Amino acid sequence: MMPSLPIWQFDVLLLVLVVLFAVVALSIRNLMGAAVVFGAYSFMMCLIWAGMGAVDVAFTEAAVGAGVSTVFIVSTIYNTSATMRSRPGGIAFKLFIGVVVTLAGVFLLSALPDFPDWGDPNSPANATVAPYYIENSIRDTHVPNLVTSVLADYRGFDTLLETIVVFIACIAIYSILRIETAKSKTDEPEEDTATAPPSYDPSDSLIVRQASRFMVPFMQLFALYVIAHGHYSPGGGFQGGVILGASLILLAISFDLKFILRQWREKPLMLLVASGVCLYATVGLACMFTGGNYLDYGSLDSVLPNDRAMARSHGILLVEIGVGITVMFSMLAIHINLASNGRFDRGL
Amino acid sequence: MENLIANFNYVIVVILMMIGLWSMLAQKNLIKKCIGMAILQTGIILFFISIGAKNNALIPILTEAAYSDPDVATVANPLTQILMLTAIVVGVATLGVGLGLAQKIYHQHSSFDEDEILENQRK
Repeated sequence: MMPSLPIWQFDVLLLVLVVLFAVVALSIRNLMGAAVVFGAYSFMMCLIWAGMGAVDVAFTEAAVGAGVSTVFIVSTIYNTSATMRSRPGGIAFKLFIGVVVTLAGVFLLSALPDFPDWGDPNSPANATVAPYYIENSIRDTHVPNLVTSVLADYRGFDTLLETIVVFIACIAIYSILRIETAKSKTDEPEEDTATAPPSYDPSDSLIVRQASRFMVPFMQLFALYVIAHGHYSPGGGFQGGVILGASLILLAISFDLKFILRQWREKPLMLLVASGVCLYATVGLACMFTGGNYLDYGSLDSVLPNDRAMARSHGILLVEIGVGITVMFSMLAIHINLASNGRFDRGL
Repeated sequence: MENLIANFNYVIVVILMMIGLWSMLAQKNLIKKCIGMAILQTGIILFFISIGAKNNALIPILTEAAYSDPDVATVANPLTQILMLTAIVVGVATLGVGLGLAQKIYHQHSSFDEDEILENQRK
């Protein structure tokens, strides 16, 4: 059955555009261009998801895919090179891979007739466990945003481990890129600042600096609102954390990496990344000490003022704050590592 | 054909995944491989979101009128959405690890090109 919504044609247009952007991002020869087109691709994707009712996912993708991951690619390219060397030959190999991939795609598409129609409310994915969350979220947790209640309460273990994965990724980048500061001192030419003071630095713009100086407080306020109001509107720890991280990354880019490093030194930064995960895990432990299971916030009602459902709502807020802290500082730490090539002194 | 149009989302999912997979296998440039990985991943996320979508459904945030007795058919599936929400954030962290590895390789071999790196290693 064909959906009769007028929005449907718009969806098809966006889906075709997404494929187009993906092809352009992968075929463009300049890597900086590829990064920007990839950002546009992510933004189109975010529109599609918003069209399908996945507002929280779209929000996350707008902050992460279109924002932070583009910045990561750009700061990597800044430290390396943006040009791709063209080499002759290799067409046969690419064609061979193309044939293999096409066969795999046809194989996957052959399962298409077995799928339930798009948007069928009685499909297995929609009809088994999901209705329980929809029907009981308010009674159990007082949280009307079902995504938040499932994320932090019903599936709290899942989110705890995802937060730990972000933390581990942050540590992995440290261990891959971080170079001892002593080595960087010898690397940096001391006379550089004395002999060649650039009268005009095209990468340093007064307008950009002042504009970001105005924007950053509002970004951070909005991010705090997103974390705190995640129970009632799209948002939560992941989105708010990424926006907070992005506000610091904006400062690092528009001013100087040194500017941000003066405020956030390496050791406190890493401790803060870890402290978010610890806060999450501690809330879980507190539930055990008050007589419940791990991450069963309902048992916190003996400490918190209100009834069981309200205690679960407060527990969700606590773990969202933990997630926000970890995501915020790991985004900043990953950016600093990538932009300064692990030296923590200067960079994009 | 009818089925193909009704499931257009899934066709696009397969195309996106295969574009990403092709890029990871065939492209020689490490950054392009990373972007291909991200495209493969967004394809999978689109798949999950398409599975959880419902016709004529609202976003998974209940209105105050529906607090006492929410109608399941009019609220989108929150479960697939939260799985993908966390996947996006983990995805950007792993993309960061991939880019970090690429950057480290570049500073040892001064190239992103897979063939050149292999030649350098053989020397």
